[in-house]
Amino acid sequence: MGRIVLSAILALSFSTSLSHAQSSWTGGDDLPTNPLACDGTAAAAASVPYDGGQPTNAPDRNGKTITVVDVPKLVGIGYFNATSKGIADAAAEMGTMDAKTDGPSRANIDDQITLIDNYITSGVDGILFAANDPVAISPVLKKALAAGINVVGYDANSEPDARQWFVNQAEFNGIAKSMIDALAAEIGEDGAFAIVTSTFTTPNQARWIAEMEAYQAECYPNMKWLETVEAQEDNILSFNQANTLINKYGDEMKGILGMTSVATPAAADAVTQAGQCGNVAVVGLATPNAMKPYVASDCVKSVVLWNPVDLGYAAAYVLRAVADGTLEPGATSVEAGKLGELQVINGSEILLGAPFVFTKDNINDFDF
Amino acid sequence: MTAAVDLPPIRPRNGARRQGFLRRLFADYGQECVVLGAIVLLFVVVTFINPRFVNTNNLITIFSGNAYIAVAAIGMAMVIMTGNIDVSVGALIGVLATIAGTLAVSGYPIWFALTAPILVGMAVNTVIGVLVAYGRIPSIVVTLGALSILRGGLIGVTGGTWITDLPPDFLIAQKRLFSIPVPLIFMIVLTVAAFLWMRYSAFGRSIYAIGGNPEAAVATGIPVERRLVSVFAIHGAFAGLAAILFATQLQVIQSTVPPNLELTIITATVIGGVSILGGTGTVIGSTLATILFATIGSALIFINVSAYWLRAVIGLLILATVLADMLRRRGRA
Repeated sequence: MGRIVLSAILALSFSTSLSHAQSSWTGGDDLPTNPLACDGTAAAAASVPYDGGQPTNAPDRNGKTITVVDVPKLVGIGYFNATSKGIADAAAEMGTMDAKTDGPSRANIDDQITLIDNYITSGVDGILFAANDPVAISPVLKKALAAGINVVGYDANSEPDARQWFVNQAEFNGIAKSMIDALAAEIGEDGAFAIVTSTFTTPNQARWIAEMEAYQAECYPNMKWLETVEAQEDNILSFNQANTLINKYGDEMKGILGMTSVATPAAADAVTQAGQCGNVAVVGLATPNAMKPYVASDCVKSVVLWNPVDLGYAAAYVLRAVADGTLEPGATSVEAGKLGELQVINGSEILLGAPFVFTKDNINDFDF
Repeated sequence: MTAAVDLPPIRPRNGARRQGFLRRLFADYGQECVVLGAIVLLFVVVTFINPRFVNTNNLITIFSGNAYIAVAAIGMAMVIMTGNIDVSVGALIGVLATIAGTLAVSGYPIWFALTAPILVGMAVNTVIGVLVAYGRIPSIVVTLGALSILRGGLIGVTGGTWITDLPPDFLIAQKRLFSIPVPLIFMIVLTVAAFLWMRYSAFGRSIYAIGGNPEAAVATGIPVERRLVSVFAIHGAFAGLAAILFATQLQVIQSTVPPNLELTIITATVIGGVSILGGTGTVIGSTLATILFATIGSALIFINVSAYWLRAVIGLLILATVLADMLRRRGRA
């Protein structure tokens, strides 16, 4: 019996030494990539026809003060407190929007539908939403459109024809560029790095990695991609995997990219506990709260995500623009206050812009 | 009904059955030897391919990386030996870690933050034990229910936010005693203590008796229900200890637990030689199995193999172990 197990393991180790010669797997998917230009010039927008919905018999709201309700996935958490602040900031700045946030106390689609339904009945001019479920929320949003209400989504989309516009916080190639740029700034354009991801089949992570690979090959051809390891959504496993990478590569590895908000702080902790801060850079996707200890200790310099305050702010400006009739189907950009001109992508989405990089200077302004 | 209680044999001192030491060791602790052998073999092969595998830091990563799983597996081994199972322990560890962290950041003394998870773990599992022993509800049903309650409660209470700003003194899993990482000390001391207690104390041996043959256990005067409740409570204490290691390894505590943590813990016990049918096995085996998992995981990185293999290898090991268990039982029958 023991012999069987042992020989199986032995066979495995032999087969692995054979596969040693193969190029290491990066963990990206096989879908086509669309890397951004190295200097960040905006890519030519592929013309996708407008696929959003339209309100029925909407009254002329141009320039008039409008009442708007913002229905996030849930209220009381830092992330949506931040989007809510952005909406309030924008409303105060414009002076022609009466905005309030009212969301479910837990991320529950049924509660969210009930809330929106109540606001349709009581009568508002505009609805902002972040959907708990893209499909389930669509009927109630269509009902709002049918009642002549302007509907704009942010953070989490519905079906396109159930709202007018959706403010997209980040595209895959944008995140990829920010990650690799931040890494290159820290480890140099010829540094070697490894990645800790969730699993090779997690769609978002695989997409980001594929885009990072394409962007790095294009813009930093001398960077060395050591390997990608899986760590599920498991913080201790992420910590162990990051440790193993440090143990394996020693001085050769100059940086670790964390692909999840679980992996990034765990990798930062591994680097901290191994006494490698300053030798091994950690750059990753994560929420600011989870990264504050590592940014405060200077072990981590860049945390990539988007700015939820800006996201709410942009959503409010987009809603104002549709109510005014200045943002119509077929438009290629929209003016969003201090954020400037935002690009229209994918037919009826508005791209928030380049992702936000949290650093020591700004991370304490956020609480999510 | 014959009262053939399936206890692990204690060797007659006069050597009535004279056998070689190795053969005796293998007869009593076959699965433990297999797992240990696999660990040694992996070390030899991988070190041959990449000598950095055995640098001190990597040895520490391997031996202490899965310590919290090993600690939880001790309690799980006891529960499985009685012929029961607990699929809620992963969620329980998440809840207990959150309790410890919340107490620590709320200004309670560190000793209190580190004791509370053990006591709460015992309390929760005492309730489970009572339902199983006196309510006569199968443990899989009770613990499935507990799993939903604990997991839902955890997300409901924390709202998915993480605990940060933990006081440095609270982070005991990051500390070292005589340059040995604390998780490693926890794992070794608890494993050895539990092993000796189960082998030589009357209570410990009754755990095997209950799982091996409950009717016979009753016939020999073992208070089966009471013992079952106690075993669940002890399992809760180990879950509390595991939660302490889990909560203090990093500077932030997640409000979620690793997916399938309970499955990893159960797998470790089974691969370590604890029969899923109850009655046999040791906690040495379950601890060795967690070390084997860590060794395989690290080895795959060192020899550049996709982590997909980890699951495949562990799957193979489970099948092989269960098969061996069946064969051994058939051989004895």
